[in-house]
Amino acid sequence: MIISVRINGVTKEWEVSPAETLLMRLRKEGYFGAKFGGCSQGECGACAVLLGGVAINSCCMLAAQADGHEITTIEGIGEYPDHGWRKTEGLHVIQQAFVETGAIQCGYCTPAMVLAAKSLLAHNSAPTEEEVREALSGILCRCTGYLKPVQAILRAAAILRGEDVPPIHTEEAYLPFEPTPEAGIQPPAAPFEDTFPDRGVATQARVMPQMWVTSKTKTWKKVGQPEAKVDAVKLVQGKPAFTDDIEMRGTLIAQVLRSPHAHALIKNINVEKALALPGVATVLTYKDVPRVVYSTAGQSDPIPGPLDTFSLDKKVRFVGDRVAFIAAENEEIAKTAMELIEVEYEVLPAVLDAADAMAEGAQILHDEPEYVNFAESDPSKNLAAHIRIDIGDVEKGFAEADKIYEFDYEVPKVQQAHIEPHVVISYWDEDDRLVIRTSTQVPFHARRQLAPVLGLPIKRIRVIKPRIGGGFGGKQEVLVEDVAAHLTIATGKPVRYEYTREEEFIAARSRHPMRIRLKTGVKRDGTITANAMYCLSDTGAYGCHALTVTGNTGHKAMALYVGDGEYRKSPNIRFYADVVYTNHPPAGAFRGYGVPQGFWSVERQMERIARDLRMDPIQFRLKNALRAGELHPFSTAWSEGREPRPEIIHTVGLEECVHQGKAAIGWEQKYPDPQWRSVPGKPHLRRGIGVALVMQGTAIPYLDLGGASIKMNDDGSFNLLVGATDLGTGSDTVLAQLAAEVLGVRLEDILIYSSDTDFTPFDKGAYASSTTYISGTAVVRAAEKVAARIRQRAIRMLYGDKEEAPYTADEIILEEGKAVAPDGKSVTLAEIGHNALHHTNQEQIMAVDSYVSPVSPPPFAAQFAEVTVDIETGKVVVDKLVMAVDSGVIVNPLTASGQIEGGMTQALGYAVCEEMRYDEKGSPIERDLVDYHIFRANEMPELTTLFVETFEPSHPFGVKAVAEIPMDGVAPAVGNAILDACGAQVDANPATPPRVWEAIQAVRQK
Amino acid sequence: MIVEYHRPKTVEAALQLLGRQKPKTVPLGGGTVLSRQATENLAVVDLQDLPLDKIEKQDAQLVIGATTTLQALVDSPLLADALRQAAALEANVNLRQVATIAGALVSGDGRSPLATVLSAMEAFMLWQPGDVKNSLGEWLPNRSKVPGKLIIQVWLPTDVTVKAEFVGRTPVDVPLVGVAVCRWRSGRIRAAVCGFGAAPLLVLDGSGTIDIESRVENACSHYYKTNLFTYKLKIIKTLIQRLLN
Repeated sequence: MIISVRINGVTKEWEVSPAETLLMRLRKEGYFGAKFGGCSQGECGACAVLLGGVAINSCCMLAAQADGHEITTIEGIGEYPDHGWRKTEGLHVIQQAFVETGAIQCGYCTPAMVLAAKSLLAHNSAPTEEEVREALSGILCRCTGYLKPVQAILRAAAILRGEDVPPIHTEEAYLPFEPTPEAGIQPPAAPFEDTFPDRGVATQARVMPQMWVTSKTKTWKKVGQPEAKVDAVKLVQGKPAFTDDIEMRGTLIAQVLRSPHAHALIKNINVEKALALPGVATVLTYKDVPRVVYSTAGQSDPIPGPLDTFSLDKKVRFVGDRVAFIAAENEEIAKTAMELIEVEYEVLPAVLDAADAMAEGAQILHDEPEYVNFAESDPSKNLAAHIRIDIGDVEKGFAEADKIYEFDYEVPKVQQAHIEPHVVISYWDEDDRLVIRTSTQVPFHARRQLAPVLGLPIKRIRVIKPRIGGGFGGKQEVLVEDVAAHLTIATGKPVRYEYTREEEFIAARSRHPMRIRLKTGVKRDGTITANAMYCLSDTGAYGCHALTVTGNTGHKAMALYVGDGEYRKSPNIRFYADVVYTNHPPAGAFRGYGVPQGFWSVERQMERIARDLRMDPIQFRLKNALRAGELHPFSTAWSEGREPRPEIIHTVGLEECVHQGKAAIGWEQKYPDPQWRSVPGKPHLRRGIGVALVMQGTAIPYLDLGGASIKMNDDGSFNLLVGATDLGTGSDTVLAQLAAEVLGVRLEDILIYSSDTDFTPFDKGAYASSTTYISGTAVVRAAEKVAARIRQRAIRMLYGDKEEAPYTADEIILEEGKAVAPDGKSVTLAEIGHNALHHTNQEQIMAVDSYVSPVSPPPFAAQFAEVTVDIETGKVVVDKLVMAVDSGVIVNPLTASGQIEGGMTQALGYAVCEEMRYDEKGSPIERDLVDYHIFRANEMPELTTLFVETFEPSHPFGVKAVAEIPMDGVAPAVGNAILDACGAQVDANPATPPRVWEAIQAVRQK
Repeated sequence: MIVEYHRPKTVEAALQLLGRQKPKTVPLGGGTVLSRQATENLAVVDLQDLPLDKIEKQDAQLVIGATTTLQALVDSPLLADALRQAAALEANVNLRQVATIAGALVSGDGRSPLATVLSAMEAFMLWQPGDVKNSLGEWLPNRSKVPGKLIIQVWLPTDVTVKAEFVGRTPVDVPLVGVAVCRWRSGRIRAAVCGFGAAPLLVLDGSGTIDIESRVENACSHYYKTNLFTYKLKIIKTLIQRLLN
């Protein structure tokens, strides 16, 4: 049928099929700003466009329904200010505000948000914050926590009304502070402004987070500045920047037939009928692809975990495991073919409870002879990893304690829920090299790991990482690339494979669920004498990240509290863990990487102990917490399966974080006041306030490598090529800022590109909070080499032969795009670049460098939460989250605070609503983003981010990590706030209404 | 999958299409559910051009056209706050812009806040052909038995007081459990609950002294083996008392 639409002001006629959705048609026509979030019920909103000026989900509307209507897509909103000689009207005010305020992270949902804002402001020029949040509430964002998008829209509204708006960069945001924890000097407290408002989110007039900065920060021109993200302009226009935003002629669509059983052998599989279906290119089973054992975990070599996975196997180990790959001309044919595959299963007993996995006689998941052990994995016991760490004399410590506290805790399996699903396109290039364009956090690991699986040498594989629509660890996995690659090898044709949201739930990775027993010995004065954790971790059917995730549960969470006095010098810490196979979908990497699990139990335990001892919970924590100059207690005991080496922690801003966080949330006013806990006129409501202190790591020492190359162009700009993988975090921007600082140029003069295994230097990828620290150091080193060449050439250009020059090259300063001598003479970098490439002693000024760190300096944070509990129903509303963070020097306050806000929001889901459950047959209950709820814009608590800088001496600009630490403290702080509100001990998160209600009943029965 | 698309200009034309035996032909409101189904071959009749999207007060009744969007319910000053809030909880704002009241009632399940409030209010639906009026509360549990081809209107009483409260994991989550209570001036009280099965449950309907505990337990007893039954039962009783007070 023919439909007629007016799209972005132009009337078009399209021939559509009755079943075609508007989203399918728009993308076919090249409107790539409308994204596919994999959802089946319109829950994500990434596909939103304006229909008649109203934001609607184009995935939930037939193209035919749009006949006769006016459609606006992001492509019709605004564009780059000039295209050479063709000038444009530039970006729309809303788009510009999104760019300036840092409202864009991965950018996958940004076009939808901009359109929703445009619709709102078209009929409401002065919206309240609540109205803005309501307008955004149809769009799920997993990156930002919605705060900056809300600020962007309020800012745009003000501009459109003709009002002046404050600059983003305000000096008031930077408070001078040089932390001196040894001297116990306290920084100035922020004013207490909270007047106990009802739930609601106050509009923040200031976009910048409050920062207490080191004295060095103010001397830099680019480091420490709220620069707009380098990819923001393209993302806000909805440019075709993501994996699926290309169309290649003859591309086949892949589907994967998945197991309906939790554990079974494939006795027979018949694909004849499927192959006979017109339009089917091929069907692959375990009989067709090489049987190569590997691990899907995207980690450096050797992978610190067992090799226990095959692309296709004759045994399936979870509901959703792979049975067959299909490639067909279109999705409909591929799905039909999938139904024609005949499979006879021999159903095996399933292990569906981690506690049963190691029991005598338990069904063994991995009996394949190809299995390759790592460290102490033992498939005959369903053991993917086994950790036994003893630091000091733990039993002696317990014997010396006045009181022993021993409690059990539980944490759930949760999903990364990046809005862009896993997606890959593979094809042979003209040189018969296999190109894999994929949404991955680990392009170089993917290339290395895929090579044996595909029977290709590394050099015949090229992995291209376009922009990524969020990853959060879910894409630190070689999960979909082999499917498309095998099908391309089999057919010779391009193949596209994209997960649905249901596949994300049944067949992607997740956070490891754990059962944790924690035993703590304490003296009457609050000194911890020993601390021991046993952790039973469920890795699911495969052992990807099994050892390292669970190892970090202890390595970070059990390292924070070392004890006081003599115990501080020689802490007694035990961390034992068994990571077991079960017939659940595999767990894997998820932002925080085992640490949120650990801190849920540690911080709930610390609260229990402090309250039992009638000590101030914060003073109790600080009394026992690590301090600057002390040895990381685990550094001599464990290093992700490699040789441990002692590491001193040089910077700990925890005390300052506590001080500022307490002031921001009003701790001193609220915590001691019983009246504050009551809500006037609502006897069923109770308020509570809670805290958690946390630490993370920064990169993996002696292992993970980052590389960078910089070349100078003849206009004084630079190409910065990095293998580091910006998955929306802003790492490209931060790396470019570091280069710009060293080279003395504007950010727009650094043209950064990441990442392509053919063109960019090696990088381990985006994980372990390492990019700014590891890849950033590589960038600084490469930039310094380039800067040295520039200075030498500047001396020659300014003063002729070197012998006659009055200054050495080291005395030349690079600033504002010029090389400036002490006498004030200068030459522009454009002149230097031009001279080098075309005129005198010609050379390409360029350099490559790389970096591996010998240390992993931890960031620290104090997380505060305020809640209201309905004590009759167990319903919990989180009203406020405040996080004060020591991440070393903050390179970009906008991107860094965006990381904290987005991380706190993900962690909020972990605290109160996110949980993956399975029925008695191992079938997933949650399969979409309706039953698995992630927070929307119109239900968020107030978020406050504070940065308390320390200067980490192991990095040229003093940085530590920021990306993962916001995942760690929210859940325990919320749990502690619930305890504070009503006495309920919720030891298993999330704190859902039934769990809280049961805990309240338990208190009442005591 | 959808094999035919029609957009009639009149109700009569729509009914004619919907009366066909083959292919199976169904009405399409906003399309938020039907546009994604792929299990059977269907012809759809898009109702967007029919004049069925008005909200009007007629004497002591409120008449809501079948294709009125959920967002129009949220925005309407004619509706009780509890009903507007239930409509807001029914779907996210992008879906509410196109999803219709009739579509939501046809496709919703036992967690539907909108159907729960409408059941408590003793809403009626008008079907064509035949001008058949039936009780929403009675029809929802037996949705396969349709008295007509097309829902035309939903009728509500206006001289009532309705309150509702829902308990979810977060403020706008799909409710785990919820209660809507409607009072008539006569003293009649009607309560419906959500959180079980395929449709909201009517747990109370009467006046004078009502033994709420036993009425609720009887009404919900069919679901005693379901997940969180004990919790839900306790919360329903608590919320009914809270709303009645």
